[in-house]
Amino acid sequence: MGHKVRSAVSFLLVALISVALAMLLISLTGSEVGRAFAGFFRGIVGSSYSIAEVFVKATPLTLAGLGVAVAFRSGFINIGTEGQLYMGAIAATAIAMYLPNLPALLMIPACMLGAFLLGGLWALIPGLLKSRFGISDVLNTIMFNYIAIAIVGILVQTALKDPNNYFPQSPPLPAASALAVIIKSTRLHSGIFIALAAAALVYLFIFKTPAGFRMRAVGLNPRACKCVGISALSCVLISSLISGGLAGVAGFCEVMGLHHKLLPGISPSYGYLAIIVTLLGKNNPLGVVLAAIGIAALQVGSLAMQRAASVPSAIAEIIMGVVVILILARQTLFKGLLQPARKEEKA
Amino acid sequence: MSGFIAILSTFLIASIRMATPLTLAGLGEAYSERAGILNLGVEAIMLTGSFTGFMVTFWTNNLLLGVLAAMAGGVAVSMIHAVMSIKCGVDQTIVGLALNFFALGLTSFLFLKAFGQGTILPTCVTAAAFPLPLLSKIPLIGPILFNQNIFVYLMFLAVVGFSIVFYKTDWGVNLTAVGEHPRAADTAGINVFRTRYIACLINGLFGGMAGAYITICQLGFFQEDVTSGKGYMALVAVILGRRNPLGVLAAALIIGFAEALQFNLQTIGIPIPSQAFSMIPYVSAVIVLLFSIGKSADPAALGIPYERSKR
Amino acid sequence: MPLLEMRNIDKVFFGQYANRDVDLAVESGEIHALLGENGAGKTTLMNILYGIYTRDGGQVLWQGRPVEFASPRDAIACRIGMVHQHFMLVPTLTVSQNITLGLKSPGYPFSKRKALNEGIMDISRRYGLKIDPEAYVSRLSVGEQQRVEIIKLLYRNTELLILDEPTAVLTPQETQNLFAVLRRLKDNGCSVILITHRIPEVMEIADRVTVLRDARKIITAPTGGLTEKQLSEYMIGRELRPVRREGVARTEGSGLTLSDLCLKVNGVEKLDRVSLDIAPGEILGLAGVDGNGQKELAEAAMGIRKPDSGRVLLAGEDLSAWAVDRRIKGGLAYISDDRHHDSLVMPMSLMENLLLKYSAYQRFVKNGFINMKVLRRTTEQAIRDYEIKTLSAESPVSYLSGGNQQKLILARELTEDRRAIVALQPTRGLDIGASEFVQNQLLACKRRNCAILLISADLEEVLSLSDRIAVIHDGAIMGVKDNTPDIDVAELGLMMAGRRLEELKGGEAGHGA
Repeated sequence: MGHKVRSAVSFLLVALISVALAMLLISLTGSEVGRAFAGFFRGIVGSSYSIAEVFVKATPLTLAGLGVAVAFRSGFINIGTEGQLYMGAIAATAIAMYLPNLPALLMIPACMLGAFLLGGLWALIPGLLKSRFGISDVLNTIMFNYIAIAIVGILVQTALKDPNNYFPQSPPLPAASALAVIIKSTRLHSGIFIALAAAALVYLFIFKTPAGFRMRAVGLNPRACKCVGISALSCVLISSLISGGLAGVAGFCEVMGLHHKLLPGISPSYGYLAIIVTLLGKNNPLGVVLAAIGIAALQVGSLAMQRAASVPSAIAEIIMGVVVILILARQTLFKGLLQPARKEEKA
Repeated sequence: MSGFIAILSTFLIASIRMATPLTLAGLGEAYSERAGILNLGVEAIMLTGSFTGFMVTFWTNNLLLGVLAAMAGGVAVSMIHAVMSIKCGVDQTIVGLALNFFALGLTSFLFLKAFGQGTILPTCVTAAAFPLPLLSKIPLIGPILFNQNIFVYLMFLAVVGFSIVFYKTDWGVNLTAVGEHPRAADTAGINVFRTRYIACLINGLFGGMAGAYITICQLGFFQEDVTSGKGYMALVAVILGRRNPLGVLAAALIIGFAEALQFNLQTIGIPIPSQAFSMIPYVSAVIVLLFSIGKSADPAALGIPYERSKR
Repeated sequence: MPLLEMRNIDKVFFGQYANRDVDLAVESGEIHALLGENGAGKTTLMNILYGIYTRDGGQVLWQGRPVEFASPRDAIACRIGMVHQHFMLVPTLTVSQNITLGLKSPGYPFSKRKALNEGIMDISRRYGLKIDPEAYVSRLSVGEQQRVEIIKLLYRNTELLILDEPTAVLTPQETQNLFAVLRRLKDNGCSVILITHRIPEVMEIADRVTVLRDARKIITAPTGGLTEKQLSEYMIGRELRPVRREGVARTEGSGLTLSDLCLKVNGVEKLDRVSLDIAPGEILGLAGVDGNGQKELAEAAMGIRKPDSGRVLLAGEDLSAWAVDRRIKGGLAYISDDRHHDSLVMPMSLMENLLLKYSAYQRFVKNGFINMKVLRRTTEQAIRDYEIKTLSAESPVSYLSGGNQQKLILARELTEDRRAIVALQPTRGLDIGASEFVQNQLLACKRRNCAILLISADLEEVLSLSDRIAVIHDGAIMGVKDNTPDIDVAELGLMMAGRRLEELKGGEAGHGA
């Protein structure tokens, strides 16, 4: 068996273990496994609406996942895409609210640009602190998440508040700001095209441009880059800006494509899920797209499963955590399977 | 003047209480980091501890059993992290984050399974404050330090205990060697792997205890994501405190003070959205991190799996 | 019966023999040298003995009995100890804590440090190894750290000490001190295996010598019956081609000039008003024991580190405010001593590692994208010109041998347009063939009128290549001499140990440091 085949088999085993675990959890809740799985799959492919739903959820996951991938490649551990997403959402909402009379042709790019910049800024600050002062990027970005969520909460009660609504949220945004629905009677909007285009652009950037190359080099060996004259500081700054910007655009898509207003909780932890997406996609834009669709399917399916068989959708989180752990431990867990093909280390 | 002192004491008492889970979890993490294992999954450990502590206390009405259960729960999580980091040699950052996700999902799932979707929040008994004889009569600091609940007293003891172990015993020397130069420690006959497993065990014990504090002592109930970032704040305290037990306590007090401030401002009734206050602890954590710029000298082998490569 | 016997030892890495049918026998109370150039198999053989590697064939007999060492701990239990090139010391602990690390002394876990220190000082006095038990290892000099390593072994009653290239980090005087210690060890019944590639030392201190070459044992014999020339031939297997140097006419200030460079790191002075002037076409060799500021000087010259004061000039132009990439563009090249950290990105391919330099060059960019065709062509040209052994231009550089990695770096850095080169230990860890290649490349650059600062701890290399020789000690230049055929090497040795040239010229040379 060649090495690639062994590798594929080990991934298959991971998948099987996860499915077995899911079955176990489902039966623990007292539901029928068959009905639960049926509900799960019907929830994904059962109708054009459900398939569209997968891509609706895959849109922000792809964008945020691309953001995480860009950051990780440069050595900047960005756990803050959740907060950067919210900041993007804030920028897009604010522009739409305060410039309501812009025509769609100007409004949408303006909102997207604003989302990119504010999200980018939100990542730039921890990126600068890490790059220039060596302060933990992990902890800073996580703290910035909580702060961003709090800022959203404040703004929808003050500057961005809908005066006609008791609940804290923004007023419905002008029609000119809405991203068009692509498939009638589904929620799928043109944000998906933005996501896919972003994936292509990020791919080109990382692998085909000098700036992307330098970023990758900095992520792999910042010291050597310093000695060769490549500035790690500017590479990380650019990467954090792009990273946060992409997450910001994810926020823009959620507001302009789906909800058409800003309210707390528009992101069901997309930012954190994006990290898992990137891990599964191996920091590669193409992998990120596939992984985003996979995770989105898992989420949509588990919600459907909850409706169909009363299985708590929290199962999805458990499964995801387990999948990540199994993938990380893959080399050790399946040592017998993978070992013979592994190259010996150099002397 | 006495009014000012009264307010200040209330604040300090509250700060110490807020700092307690951060310190307990931070001490466990400091021990782990000194051995070279970076555990971002402190959040998962605390959350699991909160959950198991709450559940057992709810069923048995026995606080001691609850705390023990919390510690067991914390150890279960930290041992997964230990195996992944030590045996599988994976990226410790990622596995820590994955555990946070996993624990969040698992505790929510199990809680829902136990209590269903009802609107009444199940509560349990909580640990009350009690004054220590003699010590609580000391003017000024007596009522602040020595009229607290059992967890706070445990925290004081732990700070002293950890300091002794780190700086006055051979265990502390071995720990330092394992974290700085595992190959040298290995050659000298120290079992690097065992030392690291024990470190993760202690991390789980104290993190679980910290989690128990939140549900059994502070709140009296459990809800999804009840720790909401306290595990990360403990990590911040460890960084600022440079893995020194007293330093961790000091850093935790700063963040604890911010939290106490937040509660008090909310209750005063200023017409500002509550999120402006709930933001304060997180902002203070960021500021605290800023002060950690400088020669902090992490253990040289922190986060690097040790390989006894036999060729 | 010999104390140690290794018979027919085989060890294979990646289908290549690192040791092939090697024999070694060491008697009690003997100093035995294991001689060979880089890559001959000396360290491999000792690592097998010490339990770090598993042998593929052969036997190890200790005190007549066959033994299997699964790890260093087994070897230590048999009273065998090794001092590696990279010390096994924990910098944040004290000397005493390092020496007693892992041992359960009375009072465990609350060891009585004072009593332990007395035992340590006992050993220290007995063998003449001066140390301070309560000093933190991070503050010790390399020579002092080596003493701690040796005491560590003696504290555990080691009978056979293995020292891996111990003199590489010592001044000539410290080397003499070490040899005195080794003689005392011998008198006390210990045996020593000395891994080295320095023939004069073998002749001076060893009783017998085993020569390894290309993974095989060539000869084992008492040193009394051999000459240096014979050993050299055994070690290298052919005649060394003498390096030819042309003289150079010097014009001050027209090449690479370092002027009054000062640098303090963590309160410790690393560079003390270093001034050097190197003319175009001149090789200035900077000799000195490793750790006396060489790395800091190279980095200050390149702009990787900012000195506290002082200037760097190239052909009269002040580079002091220039960033690294500007200095490189301006004609400065850097060969670092640490390929893996400073010069290469290991997971990346040969092409990508070349791109590290060229990513901002117009020639390599087309319409905003990397011009892969030009990059590939350039890489393949470099592979041909420098005879780099690799599967393809796209292989990761981690697959290359050390020598080939260094060749790639030279291909990248030593381009036609270079005006000055800073070469820091450029042949470290390379075998003779690769070392010669590097040295010839430097000479080729010299002929192209490059000003070359060659920083090397290998005095032989400095002597064979340099037009002038400077010596650095504790961050200060002790003196600069012309490299004449009759140069006084002992004088250089004294400068390396901290005596300034003026002192030596003036009065008598003092006693050793």
